[in-house]
Amino acid sequence: MLQYVTLEIDGADIVVPRGLSVLDAAIEHGICIPHLCHVRYLSDIGSCRLCIVEHVVNGRSKITTSCTLRVQEDMVIQSNTERIRKLRRNLAELLVAHAPNSRAIQDIAVRCGVKEVRYPFRNENCVLCGRCVRVCSECAGANAIGFVGRGKNRRVDSPFGSLSEFCVECHTCIELCPMSIQPCIGYMEPGEERLCGACESQLDLADELPGHCVWCELGENFQCGRY
Amino acid sequence: MLPLRLDSILEGRRSQPHQLIEVLQDVQEQEGYISEEAMRAISNELGVPPMEVYRVASFYKAFSMQPRGKNVITMCMGTACHVRGAKLLLSQATGLLGVNSGETTDDGLFSIEQVNCLGTCALGPVVTENGACHHHMNPSKLRKLIKSIRRAGMEETSDE
Repeated sequence: MLQYVTLEIDGADIVVPRGLSVLDAAIEHGICIPHLCHVRYLSDIGSCRLCIVEHVVNGRSKITTSCTLRVQEDMVIQSNTERIRKLRRNLAELLVAHAPNSRAIQDIAVRCGVKEVRYPFRNENCVLCGRCVRVCSECAGANAIGFVGRGKNRRVDSPFGSLSEFCVECHTCIELCPMSIQPCIGYMEPGEERLCGACESQLDLADELPGHCVWCELGENFQCGRY
Repeated sequence: MLPLRLDSILEGRRSQPHQLIEVLQDVQEQEGYISEEAMRAISNELGVPPMEVYRVASFYKAFSMQPRGKNVITMCMGTACHVRGAKLLLSQATGLLGVNSGETTDDGLFSIEQVNCLGTCALGPVVTENGACHHHMNPSKLRKLIKSIRRAGMEETSDE
């Protein structure tokens, strides 16, 4: 039998089954916490850090990723405070500076309130969210790709640098990759990267209602509770 | 067919995925590096996906996936050693041997490696040669060290 716990997210009391993550609980109840590396049917590793929330314990708040935080009885979570918005905006800014050629990342940056990018663009083609790696080991069971190296040399690669014999070419890794959707203004060459301005309606909304849901199209692909 | 040496390392550890790091350490110690064949054999024998073996081997600095030279010269690049001129020593070593750090000389005698700290900051700058620690290094001591190793290596080959 399912056990239920009651917790408070942004002032709302919600009841969810035990064992769920705070992010899943919030999405289920229509509270939008931006996230990138989380996929509902995969385990969470908290690599994108976008889903950070404040977890209030004894009047003191700790900041942690909500996808790796399990629900507990009488938990108090705040997902949309000034402090969180500021941190999240900065994280999104770093992500979009690292890999601007992705619609998913551009949209998330807009949604998190990024208006200009203060960091140099790197135009990388991977943000190490680990979606492909997890789907390969957990759903396909192939373990054909994984993280190699560490620190700034960390990258996704096949074993020994050549296509693994266990790869069945299901292409689920490509499907889940946030870099597989180009920004609406098309591919940006190195040197001409910018924050995508084509979603101006969203930018306006983000301006008027800071931190509120702007019904981004991204929500659909990222299992937003509103869709 | 497994090489005999790998066989003895794997003895008693087969089908135990948690032994992965120990096995890799033993292979590293015996062979001086971990080859692709060794990794594939380990993956087969321990029941760990090849990706996992490759990931672990590439993560730790202690494992090398290229053959290393007979003498591994490890330069400490930690804060204390850096302040006392470790960078100078590194450039001297690379200049003397003609290879960059992480590479091996053509005759297979020397490899240069960088580490972030050896934990003996009071003795810095520190250089280790095959695990033997040389403290308070300076360019002339380093030159002498490399010269003596090279002479020893030459004598060995001439003896044979």
